[in-house]
Amino acid sequence: MSGIRQIYGKEIARIFRDKRMVFSVFFLPVVIMVVIMSIMNNLIAGMEDDIERHTPVVCISNEPESFGEFLKAADLQYEIKNISGEKEKRQAEADILNGAADLLIEFPETFQADIEGYADGDAIPQVKTYYNPSEDYSSAAYAEISEGTLEAYRQALLQERIGNLEQVTVFTVNTDNEDMIIQDEQKAGGKAIGMMLPYFITILLFAGAMGLGVDMIAGEKERGTMASLLVSPVKRSSIVLGKVFSLMTVSGLSSLIYIIVMVVCMPMMMESMTGTDGTGLDISLSAKQILMLGALLVVIAFLYSTIIALVSVFARTMKEASTYIMPVYMVVLVVGLLTMFASGKTAGYSYYIPLYNTALVLKGILAQEVTAAQYLIAFAETVLLGGALTGLIVKAFESEKVMSS
Amino acid sequence: MIEIRNLTKIYKLNRKQMRESRTKNPLKTAVDDLTLTARKGEIYGLLGPNGAGKTTTLRCIATIIKPTGGEIYVNGKEVRSQPEAVRTEIGFLTSEIKLDEQFDVDYMFRFFGRLHHVPADVLKQRREELFEYFGIRDFAHKQIKELSTGMKQKAAIAVSLVHDPDIVIFDEPTNGLDIITARSVTDYLRKLRDEGKLVLVSTHIMSEAEKLCDRIGIIIDGRKVAEGTVEQLYAQTGTGDLEDAFFELYRMNRREE
Ligand SMILES: Nc1ncnc2c1ncn2[C@@H]1O[C@H](COP(=O)(O)OP(=O)(O)OP(=O)(O)O)[C@@H](O)[C@H]1O
Ligand SMILES: [Mg+2]
Repeated sequence: MSGIRQIYGKEIARIFRDKRMVFSVFFLPVVIMVVIMSIMNNLIAGMEDDIERHTPVVCISNEPESFGEFLKAADLQYEIKNISGEKEKRQAEADILNGAADLLIEFPETFQADIEGYADGDAIPQVKTYYNPSEDYSSAAYAEISEGTLEAYRQALLQERIGNLEQVTVFTVNTDNEDMIIQDEQKAGGKAIGMMLPYFITILLFAGAMGLGVDMIAGEKERGTMASLLVSPVKRSSIVLGKVFSLMTVSGLSSLIYIIVMVVCMPMMMESMTGTDGTGLDISLSAKQILMLGALLVVIAFLYSTIIALVSVFARTMKEASTYIMPVYMVVLVVGLLTMFASGKTAGYSYYIPLYNTALVLKGILAQEVTAAQYLIAFAETVLLGGALTGLIVKAFESEKVMSS
Repeated sequence: MIEIRNLTKIYKLNRKQMRESRTKNPLKTAVDDLTLTARKGEIYGLLGPNGAGKTTTLRCIATIIKPTGGEIYVNGKEVRSQPEAVRTEIGFLTSEIKLDEQFDVDYMFRFFGRLHHVPADVLKQRREELFEYFGIRDFAHKQIKELSTGMKQKAAIAVSLVHDPDIVIFDEPTNGLDIITARSVTDYLRKLRDEGKLVLVSTHIMSEAEKLCDRIGIIIDGRKVAEGTVEQLYAQTGTGDLEDAFFELYRMNRREE
């Protein structure tokens, strides 16, 4: 017991004494995360502003007089290019393709006459629009003009034709209903966060533990300081546990910091991505949720620490250990991604797959959808697996082939 | 007391090691049927050329590696069945064991003191004594990485003796030290012997072995080829100087390759 405590204390002291280590474990990732988030934020906001400021370039063939008047009356500013003939239409299409123009509206040649002289049974004139979905300006122009302005234009023409529109409006849908969205705000917020959080927790936790674990075990072997522990009377198992626990503490602590930063930054992100103020995503957690999350995070940190420690024991140098650990990191990344995009019903057996089940349960806790059985299975399995790996590490520590060559 | 009975250590070489030593044989016999006994109150020296198997023997005693054959008893405790008990009895020093560069000497000293369950007041006393003797006070609060080779060696010696072990095993303790520092180390080993402790050292420096050791075991190619006091070795080989005696034994026992 005392051996574990001494080793633990030394490892923790080693990390916190080293300013560079503290910086790279605790601050650097946070700084990077905040920088990336604010860059994304600015870029998205800048993009939206830019599209708003851009005056759509609209090519119109056979523009009816009433359309021009309609635009002027509605005070809509477009850069209109009137075209006629096949050749100019080709040119307009090419312009849309290369971004010089945003939208092409093609009226039938006899549009004005057709609608003015419309009688029951006549063919209804068709207006065609063309745009380029890969160009942001073009997409925006299509959304605004083809779906908005033309619709308004049609309403205006209709009014001209039949006078009072209310006669033909049988009913409207949601023109005056602010409360149309019914959802548990907390659950919705949890769901959105629940989608991303397990992913970030898994990678951040693993990434944090990775560098430290490699240094703590392979690095210590490489530097020759492990041997000094091996000739002291501490049990091999105490060395292993002391190291695994300290790794767990530090990586857990660092991931906790990342999560706090993320939860604080999340509304900011949502705001810029959806244009809403982000307050719709209420992320207040109940005491029970926090407890469940906390306990699960502790055992996940334990499992990750043992995985990393086990891989590092078999490496002679830190470089070798980093190479060995990469494929494991990939697996963790993929598992995280799988849970992030997994939707619909999760098969029951998924809760028995180690690593994957913890990510599922994390997600479930945040979305308030996890059952006690699922939680306990994932929890127990993670502890048992971590314990088994610890046993393997101790075995490796007892092997001279592994420890001194 | 250290009793080594028919110790054999065979390393399994990996491909890289086989290539480096230009051999196709994956087995390397580093220690071959070695038997010796070292007692309380004496300085026993293992003398042998590079690669003779001195370090290997000492590492087996210190339970860092396991014997392939034979037994080793340290104060009656067997290395394979009671490794932790053996490690409590000994202070072990070798150049491959290093102190954590990030910490200062004082931290390391206290850390290993606690690992050895040295009570706080005793630890303080040990620290006074060893830091004073080896002149560590001046750099006790410097990080290990800022120390010179000699300072590091002194720190390592002090740390290995923190628990006042009955048996002191030092692998080439004066390696890399200037004569003044080397002298203070050998003087300290004599002091330990005079206090009734067992000191086991390895060396390939003839003059050191001649002056320091009460008994010498000469090891060549993993086998003990002669043992005794300096005078006994002179008598055995008909020489009057350890270097001559050593060459004589080396000539007779070198394995044909
Ligand atoms: N871990 C190891 N794996 C394989 N072979 C080893 C290992 N350690 C030592 N050897 C080999 O065993 C033999 C004995 O080595 P050892 O280090 O015991 O010699 P030594 O007497 O201490 O030599 P030196 O005076 O150079 O320190 C050498 O041939 C060495 O190459
Ligand atoms: Mg050696």
